[in-house]
This record gives sequence, C-alpha cells and structure tokens, in this order.
Amino acid sequence: MMMNTRNLFIILILTTVSMAGFGQTPEIHGYLRNYTGALTGQNGDFSIVQNTLDLDIEKSTLDIAFKANPYIYQYAHKDELDYGLREAYIDLYTDNMDIRLGKQQIIWGKADGVFITDVVSPKDLREFLLPDFDEIRMGITAAKLDYYIGNNTFELVWAPVFVPTHYPEENSIWFPQEYPDNFRFDYSQKDVTAGLENSEIFFKYSRLSQTLDIELMAGYMWDDDPAVHTRRYINQQTTQPDSAVVTPKHHRLSLVGGSFSGEVEGVVLRSEAAYYMGKKFATNDMSIQDGIVDNDYLHYLVGADFIIGGANVSLQFIQEAIMDYKDPLVQDEFSNTMTFLVNDDYFNNRLTLELFAYIGLDNEDALIRPKATYEIHSGLNLIAGANLFTGTEGRFGQYNENDMAYFKLRYDF
Amino acid sequence: MLHKRFKFRNIILLLLLLIPFMSNAQDLTGKEIIEKVYYRDDGDDRRGKLTMILVNSRGDKRVREIKQFDKDFGATEKKIMFFTAPADIRETSFLNWSYDDPAKDDDQWIYLPALGKVKRISSDSKDDYFMGSDFTYDDLGDRHPDEDTHKLLRTETLEGEECYVVESLPKEEGYMYSKTETWVIKDKWIGLQKKFYDEDGDYLKTLKVKEYKDYDGILVITHSQMHNAQKDHKTIMKYKDIELNAGIGSNYFTERMMSRGL
Repeated sequence: MMMNTRNLFIILILTTVSMAGFGQTPEIHGYLRNYTGALTGQNGDFSIVQNTLDLDIEKSTLDIAFKANPYIYQYAHKDELDYGLREAYIDLYTDNMDIRLGKQQIIWGKADGVFITDVVSPKDLREFLLPDFDEIRMGITAAKLDYYIGNNTFELVWAPVFVPTHYPEENSIWFPQEYPDNFRFDYSQKDVTAGLENSEIFFKYSRLSQTLDIELMAGYMWDDDPAVHTRRYINQQTTQPDSAVVTPKHHRLSLVGGSFSGEVEGVVLRSEAAYYMGKKFATNDMSIQDGIVDNDYLHYLVGADFIIGGANVSLQFIQEAIMDYKDPLVQDEFSNTMTFLVNDDYFNNRLTLELFAYIGLDNEDALIRPKATYEIHSGLNLIAGANLFTGTEGRFGQYNENDMAYFKLRYDF
Repeated sequence: MLHKRFKFRNIILLLLLLIPFMSNAQDLTGKEIIEKVYYRDDGDDRRGKLTMILVNSRGDKRVREIKQFDKDFGATEKKIMFFTAPADIRETSFLNWSYDDPAKDDDQWIYLPALGKVKRISSDSKDDYFMGSDFTYDDLGDRHPDEDTHKLLRTETLEGEECYVVESLPKEEGYMYSKTETWVIKDKWIGLQKKFYDEDGDYLKTLKVKEYKDYDGILVITHSQMHNAQKDHKTIMKYKDIELNAGIGSNYFTERMMSRGL
C-alpha cells in the first residue's frame, strides 16, 4: 500500500513537472465517482464498490499540445489502489498534419458498443462489457500520423509494443464458463516479446461529406484475443480424453475493413465490416495439432439511427461468419447479435432515460441495461441502472447469475 | 420670408422624393420582410462565446457555455460548436452544414469524448431542444423563408422600435410549430420578438431580443431570452467576444477540429 501510494505520487509529480517544462500552466479537469453495485441474484452481494479519481491534465497551443490522463481506482474490498495512465501523449500540429506520440486510445469505426474495425486499442474486459467505453478501451503506446486534404484524412498508426485484451481472472464472476473442470490453463506462451519485428501497423482513410461518411482501414497486427491451443490427454483405460491443457497464444493477423454512414429521410444508416485473413480458431478435431485451424473471418454490422417521438433509437445487427467452415470447430459458423438503444431526456435535459440491450440471436440470451441519469447540479450527476442477463448459455446467458443493480454519483470538474 | 418659403418648398420636395420609398415600405409583403431578415448582412464568418443560462420555474439555474464558429461557403453555411461547460460535457463538439436549398436537410455530426469518435446524427433532431434549453436546433438555425407562408399582420411599436408583425405558417405538415409571429424592426431587419405556437395552435413560447450591437455596420444579437410559457422555463442566451469577418479557415469545420478542439 505504501509502495503503491509512493509510486502514484511519483507518477503525478513527474506528470506535473513534465508539463511545467512547457512553461505554461496546464488545465486540469476530471471527475470523482462513487460506483456501488450489488448482485441482485446472489443475496445482494456487492459486486463492486469503487471510488474513482480520473484526471485530464492538458495544455494546447496552436502547434503543440499534450495530455495526461492518470486514474486511480480504490476498491472497498482491496487495500491496494489500482492506478495508471490511461493516456499520456504529445501532439504536434502543422497546417495539414498532426502527429501524436505516446500512450493513447485510438478509436475507429461507426459501430456503437461493438468492436469491428475498432481493433487498434485493446480492451479491458475484466468486468465484461459493463464499464464505460472509455474505461474498457486501453491506451497503447503508439505513433499516430494524420494527414489532411480537405475533408479527407489519412491516418497511419505504428504501435511498437503489442498489448493484448485483458480478460477476467479465473476467480472472477466474469471469467467465461467455457471450460470443464478438468481443463488446465498454461499461460507460459501468452506474451508477445516486445521488439521491432513484433510491432503493429494500421492505416485508415476517412472522409466526411454531404451524403456519405466513409472509412477504409487495414491492419497488420496481433490478434488481441488469444487462440486457445488445446492439448487433450487420453485416458488409457477408456481411450477417451479425460483432461486437457489450454495454452492461450496470440498470433499475427491481417485484416481489411471499412465503414460508412449516411442519412436517408431522417434515418442515419450505418455499416461496418472487417475481414480477417487467417484467424486462428479452436477445433474439436483431435487429429489436428493443438486443436487450432486457420480460417478467414468476416465480422460486420448494419445499423440505423432515427428519432421517434423525440426519443433517439438505434438498432444494429451484427454477424460473425467463419469462411470455409468445416466441422467440428468450437465456434459456430455464424454468430448473430442485435443491439437496441433508446434514450430520451426530460425536464430540460435534467433527467435522461436510456435502455441499451445486446441480444444474442443464436442462444436467445441478452444483456439488458436500463439507466437513468439525473443532473443534480451542473457537473454533478446521479446515475442509477441495472445489468440484467437473460438466457442460460451464450455470450450473455453464461452470466445469468450476475444480474446487478448499481448507482453512481459522479462529479465532473 | 424668402428663407421660410425656400424651406417649405424643400420640405415638399423631400416628401415627394420620399413617397416612393414610403409606399415601397408599406407595400412590402410578409415574405419580403422575412427575406430581408434572412438575407441581412451578417458577415462572411463569425466567432464568439455563447452562454446559456437555463432557469426553471423555481429559479434554479444551470449554465452551458459554448465556443462557436461559423462561415459562409456560397450556398452552404458551416457551423462548429465546442461545449466548454459544464465539465461533464466538456470537449463535446457539434458540426452542422446547412444549405440555402430548403429542400436539402442539414448534415450534422457530434463528437462525444467518451465515445472518442465523430458520429453522424439525424437531421430529424431539428425539433429537439438544444442542450436542455428552450431553443430547438431549428430555432438556432436560419429557417429559409420558402419553408413558410408569410403574411404581414400590422405594424406596431415595441420597445421603442417601429416593427412589422409578420405571421408565418409552415408549409410542412406536422412541423413542431403551427404558427409563429415575428416583430421585425423596420430598416434594421432584425427580429425583436417572436412568438411560437405549438402543433395544436396553443401559445408555446416567446423569444425576446434584449440587446443587439453594431459591429462595423453589422447588427448582432448579443442577449436574448426564450420563455416557454407552457413549462414556465426560460433560457437566457448571451453572445460575447464576437468577431466578424475574422478570416476563419475552412479547416475549422472538419472532423479534425471536432476531435481536436479549438
């Protein structure tokens, strides 16, 4: 605890000193938040009691800017603080070009609540998809160059160090229930050595125009999600596999993708797609080494945003499709999901009601997230909501014991 | 005596000269008056800081602050707004491209820092209230005269200013206002007051211009108030640090600036 706190202060001091080096006082903004959530299906056990300090320390001039975003999470059930720098970067601006160096969140695509071409920044899924998206998305150390011609943007990202998706630990209520008890995990190969040859590179072209906004992208990257190499052990007496060792391992991946959005008669139509070449999938075919095969993979969505009676409504259909599918892959050939969002505000924006839902169409499962936000005072908001899981299997149904009600009190300054 | 006769003759001459202009003014139609308001010189570009004070029936106040830039690009007007207060919406920005062609809907985008990306939004939001204020998105834009049928009702004096009172009925069915009445200051072509009636024809709200200033011959509204009588809620809007014809670059109205800020 002492060590952690000392380190924390060193980070903050270094951040402040580095900014003072610019000779100007930085602006400091941020928020304080209490987040208390209880599992409604498990005797009301608290699933989270968290206090957060999140700071934006920044300064901007015409040709240079910087930003540091230190955060501290304090949990009621833990002595140690969880803290770090979500972002810390320097911007250089010229007439037609911006360069950003440092730790940064990079966000691509037109999808809401779904990651399709949004593959540059890895995700922190230790609490599944429940945190705010700016907390799910992790910063990566990268060099980003944007070149502008009119309303056209050409973006190049080089990330020297691969950072994988963070998954829940085995003792977490969010650890996926995918494996039988006789499966053992070997994490010895999950890391990718930091080095030039293991860096990632991404490119994006985007354009805003009167009729259509488009993005085209490509990436040569590491798969943020590890392939689960599985070695099964045969029981000599039954000649059947009775145990297995699962070895998560990241692999190189190439993908191309794009997205568009445009408005027709007051309805904003959106689509986004990514095509992965040679993604690794787990198979139950025991004749295949480590139970892993290569397949191309398509991940896409179509969506529409419109207004009904003053309420904003958004619908998305998402499909994941494995090309040249051959049984017995562990994952289905097609996975279909829908999202639904409606929100409206009342009393001159003082109260906002929102309902967001992920609906798994294959397993009839869902995550339903009603939320009410009340502005008590300028910058001070009380948020109350719930995360309700339905179904018994699938991406959302597996958590049907984890229904949760929560409130958050957040003050922005 | 000669002097007096000369003066009298001059007055007669002057009146004779003025008659065509006076009759022109009298003959102005409602549409011509609204067109004069719409086409009144407002500079090629504009920048300033907008403060909105939202006051409910109990007198509780909430404040929204915005940096605003807009510029004419021929038949297109582009506007970008950066929300600076309260802190929970800081760094949110809004980009609007509107077109002289009344048949063409605006293009609108919003940048939400929590999402970290620019998102196109539906132009159907024009009847939504802007940031909880009593102004709709449409109230804040320039409504093209061809979208309504206008009728000059009368002339009258308001706040010491000689005004035309023009009634405007929307051509579009189901428009959020069944009728508006605008008090336009003669010769200045600035709307001093506007009354709005809801879809059912009931009186809804009144916009009052409290102050306007002359910037090198261009009149700019610097203080106005919208009072929603049905909700007894009002929004005070103040516009300051105004610069006209400041030479704002066309690159201000882009995705780049939405996410970077100005």
